[in-house]
This record gives sequence, C-alpha cells and structure tokens, in this order.
Amino acid sequence: MLLEPGQQAWCWSKHKNERNMNDIRILLAGNPNVGKTTLFNSLCGVHQHTGNYPGVTVEIKEGKRQVNEHSITVSDLPGTYSLSAFTPDEQVARDALLTSRPDAVVQIIDATNVERNLFLTTQLLEIGIPVVIALNMCDLADEQGITIDAECLEKNLKVPVVRIVARTGEGIEELVDTIIRVTSSKTPGNPRELEYSHSIATHVTEIGAFLGSHTSLPGNLSPQYAAIRLLEGDECLEKTLHDQGLVIPFIDTSDPAERDGIAEDILLARYHLAEEITTCSVRCTMGRVMPADLIDHVLTHRIFGIPIFLSCMWFAFQLTFSAANPFLVGIEQIFGYFTEVMNSIDMDPFVRSFLADGVIGGVGSVLVFVPNIFIMFLLLSILEDTGYLARAAFVMDRLMHSIGLHGRSFIPFLIGFGCNVPAIMATRTLQSRADRIITIITIPFMSCAARLPVYILFAGVFFGAAAGNVIFFLYVLGILVAVLSALIFRRLVFKGEPSPFIMELPPYRRPSGYAAALHMWYKGREYLKRAGIVIFGGVLVVWALATLPAGVEYGSAESLAGIIGEAVQPLFAPLGFNWQLVVGLIFGFIAKEVVVGSLGTLYGGEEMLESSLAADPTLTPVVALAFMVFVLLYLPCVAALGVIRQEMGSWRWTGIAIGWGILMAYIVAYIALHAGSFIIGA
Amino acid sequence: MVPLSLMRTGDKAVVRAIQGTGHLAKTLGQLGIIIGIELTVIQKANQSVIVRIGESRYALGAGAASMVLVEAQK
Repeated sequence: MLLEPGQQAWCWSKHKNERNMNDIRILLAGNPNVGKTTLFNSLCGVHQHTGNYPGVTVEIKEGKRQVNEHSITVSDLPGTYSLSAFTPDEQVARDALLTSRPDAVVQIIDATNVERNLFLTTQLLEIGIPVVIALNMCDLADEQGITIDAECLEKNLKVPVVRIVARTGEGIEELVDTIIRVTSSKTPGNPRELEYSHSIATHVTEIGAFLGSHTSLPGNLSPQYAAIRLLEGDECLEKTLHDQGLVIPFIDTSDPAERDGIAEDILLARYHLAEEITTCSVRCTMGRVMPADLIDHVLTHRIFGIPIFLSCMWFAFQLTFSAANPFLVGIEQIFGYFTEVMNSIDMDPFVRSFLADGVIGGVGSVLVFVPNIFIMFLLLSILEDTGYLARAAFVMDRLMHSIGLHGRSFIPFLIGFGCNVPAIMATRTLQSRADRIITIITIPFMSCAARLPVYILFAGVFFGAAAGNVIFFLYVLGILVAVLSALIFRRLVFKGEPSPFIMELPPYRRPSGYAAALHMWYKGREYLKRAGIVIFGGVLVVWALATLPAGVEYGSAESLAGIIGEAVQPLFAPLGFNWQLVVGLIFGFIAKEVVVGSLGTLYGGEEMLESSLAADPTLTPVVALAFMVFVLLYLPCVAALGVIRQEMGSWRWTGIAIGWGILMAYIVAYIALHAGSFIIGA
Repeated sequence: MVPLSLMRTGDKAVVRAIQGTGHLAKTLGQLGIIIGIELTVIQKANQSVIVRIGESRYALGAGAASMVLVEAQK
C-alpha cells in the first residue's frame, strides 16, 4: 500500500524501548481467514503473506505505524476462534491477549459472516482492554447482498466499529484514528456485558471475591474475568492457581458434570448474544446463492476427491521441476564459467582451491536449489489462497486416518517434499501432541528437494534410461516408510485414535498473484537465510577436511575426511559403501545436497564426478541403489534437526526421531542391496 | 436422533446432543456446532461430512461426525 506523507512504516523483530504517552501497542485478533494479515500489511506497510489455510500466522509478527506524534505498534496474532487454547498457535494468541496488556485489541470481523465472528468478540469484551471492531470485506458483503448496520452493531457492542476493506486499504485511516482516540482515554470504556444466568453470576461473584482477596492474578487479570475463565474451563489458569496452593470454591469442589454444565451455559450465553446482535444489525437482501456448495461437492467427492487431488499434486510437481529447469541450467553455466575464470588466473594453488572448490562450489550448491524451492512455495501459496488445501485435507483425512494420522498432518507432508524445515513448523496446527510427534517423526521420510541431486547423480550414472523410474521409486519408498513408521508409533507408542478431524473450510477466493509472489519471496528468503548459511558453511568444512592436513592430495585417503571415512567405513561394509560414500553421508548431515558436493571433492572435481563414479570398481548399481535409499531415510539435515528439537520441545523425542531414521535407513538399504542383487542375479 | 455421520448430502438437521466431553465437545463448541443449531449436509464421503452452518463450512471426520447427534428436518 502507499503511505501518506508523514507516515513511516517498517517491521522489526521484538525489541523493547522506552514507552511514552504517544506509544500505542495494539493486538490484531480474529478468526482464521478474516483478513488479519492483510490488515496487518495495510497498517504497517509490510506485505507478507495472507493465508487461507487456518494457522498460517504461527508466530506473532510485529509492525509499526507512525501517525503524527503517535507511534503504533501492531502485533498480528494467530487466527483463533475463541480464547480457549487447544493448539499451540491458539495458545500464542491467548497468552498475548491475556498477559501482554496491550493498549487496545482490534478484532477483525468478516462482514460476510458476522455472527460466527461475534463469538470471539463476546470473549474479548470481557478481558478489560479497549476493543475496536474492524468490519472487513465490506465489499464482498455488499456483493452478496448483506447489509450491516454498523451503528447498530456499535450501539449493541458498545465499542467502536469501523468498516474497512483491508485488501484495498479502504477505511484504514479511520481505523487508525479510532485506535488513537480509544487508547488516549486509557480506560476500557464500557463494553456490552454478557447476561449470565443467576447461578453463573453467583459463581462469578463468589469466585471473583475469593480471588480478589487471596491472590494476585497473572497478567493483571481482573478477579471477575479470571472467575469467568475458570468457569469456562481455562486449564492453564487453573493450574497456575493450583501451583500457588489455592483451593478455589466451586472449581475445586463441584463434580465435573456440574462444571461442564456451567461451561456449556456460558458458551450458550455467548452464542445467544452473538445471535441477538446479528439479528438486529445484519440484513440479507438477496436470495442466497451457494456456488461454493457445488464446487465443494465435486472437489471433496467420495470417489473423485482423491484423483482430483493427486492430479493437482502431479501437475504442481511437474510444473515445479520443468519451470525450475531453465534456471538450474543457467545457474550451472554461470558457476562453470566462474570456475574456469579461477583456473585461468595465476595464483597460489591453495588460494585457488579455496576460491574455486570452497567458495564458488559452496555458493553454487546453495543456489542450485533456489528455483525449485521458490516455485514450490509459489504453487503451495496459490493452492492455499484459493481455499483448496483445506478441502484437500478433508479428502486425505480418511487415508491419513487409516494410518493413524490426522487429516491435517497431510499439509506438512506435502510441504515436506519441498523442504522438511517449514513442514515440521507447519505441524503446529495439530491439536494433539501425539499427532504432532508422529507427524514430525515421519516428515523426514518425505524426500525433500535437497535429496534430488543425489538421486539424479547416482541414478543417472548407474541406471541410465531407467533413472526416472528409480527416482520415482525412491519417492514412493519414502512414503511407504513414513506410513509404516506412523503405524508402528500409533500402534505401539501412542495407542488410540488420532484426534478427531474438525476444520473450518475457508470460502473460495481468487488467489492474488501478487500476494502469492510475495509469499514465495518471504518464504524463499527465509529458507535461503536459514539453509544457505548452513549449507555454505558445510561446504567450506568439507573443503577444509579434504585439504588438511596441509600438503596431502586433495580429498585423498590421507586427508582428514579420508581418515574419518575409513575409520567409520566398517560399520557400513554390510551395505557395500566405500569410504568416500561414508564421508559423503557424514557431510550430508549438514544438508543432503552436500553429499554430491563432497563426493565431487573426494573424487577430485565435480566435472569428472560422473565418470569417476562409473569407473570405481567398488560401486555397482545395487550399491548405488542402497546408497540412495540410505540418503533418503537416514538423518534430517542440521536445519531440520534444529526445528525438530524446537517443535518437539524435548531432546528425548528428538533423539528418538534421529535414531528411528538411522535404523530405518540401515534396514531398508540392506534389504534394497540384497533384493537388488537377487533380482539382478536372477 | 441419529449421528451426523449417517445423514445424507442435502439433508438439513438440528443438533440435539454432542456425545463425549473434553476437547471434542469444546472444539465443536468454539466452532459454533452447539445444541440447537441448524446445519445442512453439503458433502458426504463415507462417514465424513461437510456441513454448512450459516455462512461457515466445517469438515468433520468420521469420528467427530459420529459424536454429533442430530434430528433430521424436513
């Protein structure tokens, strides 16, 4: 969006500065898919991604807007339906709302679906922070014949309501002015109160009085509000108070059925208020046409759903690889040219080796993946924006369910074919910890883009015309091992059913090429930053190990790499790997594609690698196959491992994930070696 | 009352009871699938369903759909 003169906008990661009267901190809250991220971008002038798949915003993004003397800090919360926190991203939203004490909360409401969104409003109104309602997508509502009496809404909720169209920036100025006006008064105003039944009101008063006199509540919650949350079943707050040794009247004394009844009554009171307000302020003037019903009917069809999905995926993969290919060829040519230039310049051989093999080779091995990764992110983002991915999750649920996983797990799997790192991060939208752990353990078996160069090299050298089939087989093998692992963990470790599949399907929307391109850029850049440094560093380490100790022949058995490889090689003798392959595997831990680079180094130059491999008597097609299988399964790369640790929150499970991968790799590669020999022998 | 998982495409129904407690009931509750609400079944794939409530669409897997007891409307 364009900025008015006198405004500045930028984004920055968390840092605290001195707050003065003109510093305003606001939170953006709202259901998933209501345009929160779009509004965030409009407010802060930083375009990021607007996702259509629930749970795109998993970390809180912050931005800033300067209006005259006021500096407004905006935090974009993950989409949430309520303040009860079931998934990690809902917890993030809940914690930010309850404990960070912002100056105001802006709730974005989808004007085409007001009643649904007001449920969250009824919860926000009670926190005791000023609330501003941004009524978004008013243009779409108009198109659908929905008229909303914003004044009536405002009168009923007793908080300001501003009509906006976040996509075009319409109404943003007014929203900003309203935020400044509301926050300057420094009081939460006098928002609409819920009318609870007599018995609930009594409990709220009693528990509130008890809390008020016995404890100081986390995040300055008011005792009354804390009482409501306890009655609604906020386990987190209950536990905090328990840890303080409090025995809370009613909460700790009543039987669970009675408490469930109270929680349900509160829920109904909220829906009742939402319905009442909607009835008086929203009018529908046009007959409802539901073309989406028809589209849903086809896309999620019992029989056609899966073939449609598979065709989509097939098309996406074809497009990824064919569209990326010209870029790949270009990149290879440019780096080939650089290497030639290096070799033609007269310089110290050690320096030349460092520049040509280390630096240029390293940068090249990072850049070679960029086209694939970028195009994959672009396509995924387009699919996500249309609303199709959520339907695909529904279609896949039955299949996933039969292997003991949740339908939502399938999105991380899909992303895993591109890169395991964002895939593992995407498991945060899963509710149950068991589902998350099983999904994270199995994601590394999805053959990510970084493994492809290894297959291309070995399949090309040893299988010739059949290379394509061999590579396809490896992808399928990865999926099979994932299915097997999921079944084993579900049957033996996390007994029971995966958590039930319930998911809102976002409305179908036309994807914006601009938004998708931006998403690609941000995701791709993130990947480059995260992976690029690791991969580049890895290549330099390989170079050093292959060159040192000084004076040895580059990549020979006398180099450090050779010494390490030969020491470990006996472990891999049953699989037929020579020491060069073993060194490649060790370096592959840095990033799978480094396997190719390090083998290039060890066999004396990447240009001759193919012929050197073909000429090596210890390498046969079956050993090559076993090696590819091992590379497919053995270890997530360092970057993925870091994310696994972060998402599992436990070293034990991280260790199990690693151990399981190595075990599977060894067993399956061994089987591949012997089955392959048998077939060829026969 | 029948489980939602047994309804057919195009059926309208009113939610009468939600079996089981804990997270499932709470999750359904926060999505607005509560007792007394009217819904339309717009897709049925084996035991899994997609329902429309007002302007929102929800997908329920077989397990979740079998916990929601509904009364069919004409």
